[in-house]
Amino acid sequence: MTQALQHLLNTLVLGGTYALLGIGLTLIFGIMNVVNFTHGALYTFGAYAAYLACAALGLDFFLALPVAILAGLALGALIELVLLRPLRGSDMDTTMLVMIGAGIILQSGTLWIFGGVAKAIPTPFPDAPLQIGPVSLSWLRVFVFAAALALIAVTYGLINGTRLGRAMRASFQDADTAALMGVNVGFIYTATFAIGSALAAAAGALLGPVYVVFPQMGDLAAVKAFAIVILGGLGSISGATIGGFILALAEEFGAGYVSSGYRDAMGFLIIIAVLLVKPTGLFARAERIG
Amino acid sequence: MLEIRDLVCAYGQVAALKGISLQVGAGQLVALVGANGAGKSTTLRAISGLVKPRSGSILFEGRDVTGADPRRMLGLGIAHCPEGRRVFPHMSVAENLAMGAYLRHDAAGVRQDYARVYADFPRLAERRAQAAGTLSGGEQQMLAIGRALMSRPKLVLFDEPSLGLAPNIVEQVLSIIRAIRDGGATVLLVEQNAYAALELCDHAYLLEAGRIVMSGPGAELIADPHVRAAYLGGEVETAHRIRA
Ligand SMILES: Nc1ncnc2c1ncn2[C@@H]1O[C@H](COP(=O)(O)OP(=O)(O)OP(=O)(O)O)[C@@H](O)[C@H]1O
Ligand SMILES: [Mg+2]
Repeated sequence: MTQALQHLLNTLVLGGTYALLGIGLTLIFGIMNVVNFTHGALYTFGAYAAYLACAALGLDFFLALPVAILAGLALGALIELVLLRPLRGSDMDTTMLVMIGAGIILQSGTLWIFGGVAKAIPTPFPDAPLQIGPVSLSWLRVFVFAAALALIAVTYGLINGTRLGRAMRASFQDADTAALMGVNVGFIYTATFAIGSALAAAAGALLGPVYVVFPQMGDLAAVKAFAIVILGGLGSISGATIGGFILALAEEFGAGYVSSGYRDAMGFLIIIAVLLVKPTGLFARAERIG
Repeated sequence: MLEIRDLVCAYGQVAALKGISLQVGAGQLVALVGANGAGKSTTLRAISGLVKPRSGSILFEGRDVTGADPRRMLGLGIAHCPEGRRVFPHMSVAENLAMGAYLRHDAAGVRQDYARVYADFPRLAERRAQAAGTLSGGEQQMLAIGRALMSRPKLVLFDEPSLGLAPNIVEQVLSIIRAIRDGGATVLLVEQNAYAALELCDHAYLLEAGRIVMSGPGAELIADPHVRAAYLGGEVETAHRIRA
């Protein structure tokens, strides 16, 4: 019982960051129809940005997350402007290949600059965990969970409650008509890719201190992000949120009750199962952003 | 107000407009009629900036606006109510109207215009929180019209606003368009429902395979034997019978 409670608690923590990863990916796919193969690299990038902010610049730990988010926004905008904008209107395969290439360049660049040795991000939290009845949670994980929830809430607010978000949804539903309303659809694409990238970077910056930071950390994160998006239905933000928590649940309980070696297999299992049973995703509203 | 000179538009190798010229005077309701594929929508899309012309020019209020993007054209006061209504299906009625006012920053004026649209279209007021995709075809057309008006346009381009609507709704839509003209805006109306459009308009152009082949007051086109044979068919007689 206690063990199950502990797993549930871990699920919440992990699910929050997974949801961020998934929302970023699904947003980009939903609005731009781009399968973002740099998503894993952006996750790694966020973790390294946080590491640099803390270790090299000596910034406060709590500033590392905003630094990583801003860096993710900037890199995302750059990728969109340099790679995706000139490719708009070309077929999906071309875009995919270019994005795969960009992902490889980013990962190799990280390896080249930082080397293959894993880095740890120091945190200011006390060693003693937070005790909640029979279960416990490190303060770092409490922070990660709270920050992830806050970022999910901000993203929902942005999409559903702002002029930019409304223009993003309009562009997704009907780009030509959005243009007729005066929306600068090109800018919306840049903003969407930047926001999606920033969410991936945020997830990396949040999980970086929980685990360690290394150049290939994004590979598995990308698989998980795809699993979440497939689970939630392509283009569905609420689907990606729920999908993030479901994947975390599957991983926690798979690792806890089957074998810890299966933890990272859960993402693949979910992709296969969903594609076999319900290829449109469990919460399929594939035609909808929101 | 709007002047088009020798406009040529093409999709890849397919020429859609082969050099058309037309004029819309301020406060007029001008109809552009023609068969399927004649290039009516392309004309409107070129004016609103969705399609870049190959050659020719578009002048609005004396300014050369050839090749300007939709954002600029809307800013200048041209709203385009597109063919097939094209409301944003997963947005509420209110949000669709908000999209119509996307470029506006005068909150008070926008609020006034919401109130006016809701007063003109009570059905929309009742359904303001409902997703636009769940509205009936007629309601969606009202919403598309209301959305176009939210930008306070000087010139409104209507592309087949009666398409697929029941006859009584068609009447209603056309009288709304007349009211928009009477309210001081200029209207360029594309219609497949040629008889109704010709009857309603101040001036009309007939488009055939990318060329303007005839223009004049609506009544003149209605009386023309070629127009009667090719576009009005039994419509004139039917319309008179319904009216009688
Ligand atoms: N996106 C496109 N790509 C290629 N050809 C197009 C495209 N849109 C229109 N055309 C072609 O251009 C020509 C004019 O089309 P347009 O839509 O302007 O006609 P229309 O008069 O509005 O017809 P309808 O009454 O059917 O709406 C047609 O031959 C059409 O096939
Ligand atoms: Mg048309």
